[in-house]
Amino acid sequence: MKTFVALFLSSAAFGIAIAVVYNITSHELAGTFLLGIMASALVFAASYAILAERDADLDGDRKDERVGEAAGEDLGIFTTSSVWPILMAFSVLIFLIGAVWVPFLLFAGLAAMLLILWRLGAESNRTGGRGIT
Amino acid sequence: MIQWLTATDHKKIGIMYMISTFFFFVVAGLLALVIRTQLAAPNLDIVSSHTYSQVFTLHGTAMIFLFVAPFGLGLANYLVPLQIGAPDMAFPRLNATSLWLFIFGAFTVLSGALVAGGAAASGWSSYAPLSEIKVSAGAGQDLWIIGLLMVSIGSILTAVNLMTTIFLLRAPGMTMWRMPIFTWEIVATSLLILMAFPPLASVLAMLLIDRHLGGHFFDPSQGGNVVLYQHLWWFFGHPEVYIMILPYFGIITEVVAVFSRKPVFGYVELVLAAFAIAGLSMGVWAHHMFTTGAVNDAFFSATSFLIAVPTGVKFFNWIGTMWKGSIELTTPMLFALGFMLNFLIGGITGVMLASPPIDFDAHNSYFLVAHFHYVLGGGSLFAIFAGVFFWFPKVFGVQLSERLGKWFFWLFFLGFNLTFFPMHIMGLEGMPRRVVTYPNVEHLALLNGLATAGAFVIALAVVLFGFIVLLAFRKRVPAPDDPWGGYTLEWATSSPPPEFNFHSLPNISSERPVFDARQAARRAAEGVA
Repeated sequence: MKTFVALFLSSAAFGIAIAVVYNITSHELAGTFLLGIMASALVFAASYAILAERDADLDGDRKDERVGEAAGEDLGIFTTSSVWPILMAFSVLIFLIGAVWVPFLLFAGLAAMLLILWRLGAESNRTGGRGIT
Repeated sequence: MIQWLTATDHKKIGIMYMISTFFFFVVAGLLALVIRTQLAAPNLDIVSSHTYSQVFTLHGTAMIFLFVAPFGLGLANYLVPLQIGAPDMAFPRLNATSLWLFIFGAFTVLSGALVAGGAAASGWSSYAPLSEIKVSAGAGQDLWIIGLLMVSIGSILTAVNLMTTIFLLRAPGMTMWRMPIFTWEIVATSLLILMAFPPLASVLAMLLIDRHLGGHFFDPSQGGNVVLYQHLWWFFGHPEVYIMILPYFGIITEVVAVFSRKPVFGYVELVLAAFAIAGLSMGVWAHHMFTTGAVNDAFFSATSFLIAVPTGVKFFNWIGTMWKGSIELTTPMLFALGFMLNFLIGGITGVMLASPPIDFDAHNSYFLVAHFHYVLGGGSLFAIFAGVFFWFPKVFGVQLSERLGKWFFWLFFLGFNLTFFPMHIMGLEGMPRRVVTYPNVEHLALLNGLATAGAFVIALAVVLFGFIVLLAFRKRVPAPDDPWGGYTLEWATSSPPPEFNFHSLPNISSERPVFDARQAARRAAEGVA
């Protein structure tokens, strides 16, 4: 996790630096805004990484950990099939087509997405998974 | 069939990604043949100018968004959990959703060819105002936007999934500094996707709002700004080039090390170079906009030159890995060497184009077309085939023919260079890109004739590749678990791997756990251990 934190911290520092240098050298708003947004997102991610690192205790981070020592560790249940992902993607397509041409489809797509999110959550809980993912 | 449609296993998803991207590669390749046939000789009239515009728009879009970039994500889907010793991706359902967003989005883009007015015809970058409704009124442009929005959302979700998997699901002992270089490159790629794809989604949404919801983001007559479109597009577009190359640097590193029978030379430097490239690539976008006259040439020229340094570090390390190695010229290794040669040419012309005076002259000419085809075709595509020949036995459990594979390489290498090298000279002789025909001046007829002949040699090579794959499934020569003497964890499991990937894992104490396990077994057999 320390590497994870270092990665985001250094990316955030780079993002801030390049945004500042760009603004000073270019006086151009669109690019400064884009780099600023990028730097802000990286600062946010780095802050989260610092917080997450405090509670992290991962076998993958221990240099001397042998594979056998971690036997039996609970990684959760990984589902092998679900009908909802393909339906979710199809609903997104319907939603976007509705946004352009047929308003009814926009609402139908949105309703389908919400329904699928609900069913995904239920399926995940049933199989002992973590959230809807 | 249902099993595949509802699959959430990362290996099945990876396979579906890769097969679907190869389908789109064939589609884009056929479109390229239409382009080259039209340009085979001066003043030809095989397709109309509007059809030609649709063809090169779909060719570029399909190659970039539907093949080169997503193939890397597909391979990452398959390999990353195996390389870090994880049973699956962190979020299997999200993973499947990303795949289907990509597939539905891809077909939506291509479906534009079937509607009245035809497909999008404003180029792969679809600059406003060319892509605005006043100029491109057809539904094809809308389908292009909707499709790419879905592809971009899918890519963002995949990047989140890959990062979470790599950070949280590594096997005991698999510290980040022991991860294979391919996995590291995927971390850098995912980070780039998370920074670059939201601007793409934004600019597509803004274009859709302009076209259908009364927006004026890019309409100067209403206070909009067309240069803003270019800023947003290239803020995504240049990092996208590295999203399309970093995973393939990873493939090359793995292949070169295994077939040089040496550990990777400069492991840490290779990782740092990947992140230096990723970081710098976020600051070079407007070198695509030098000719607008509205950007800081010195800043973007300097950052573009700088990016050659970490790229040079990678070349140095690949050569260092091969240096005094016991090099085996297998098909994957041949493709890796072909990659290095082609990418070097593309890289050098890239450095040339980073210089504004040269860019002003060569911009929008065939020199530029030659440059990016050497980077993405000669680079990424060669690396893709290196990866396909390298991991095919692991993925499908059967061997590809090495003899035919080498024929395929030489045919492809010849065809590629015959097609794209003459384009440098065409560009320098003044031939602009995206033109439907050209006059019989300078050496353009000869050079275009060569390029067209080369394109058909490439097509022949791709047919041979299809035959090699079919032959492998017909003959079904079983692949051993570790046919090449690999180093990384995917070679420690069966070919193909079981559900949840591993029955047992070797101990991990370096970045080459399978090599270590093999050495330990050898020492034990010799009674040394």
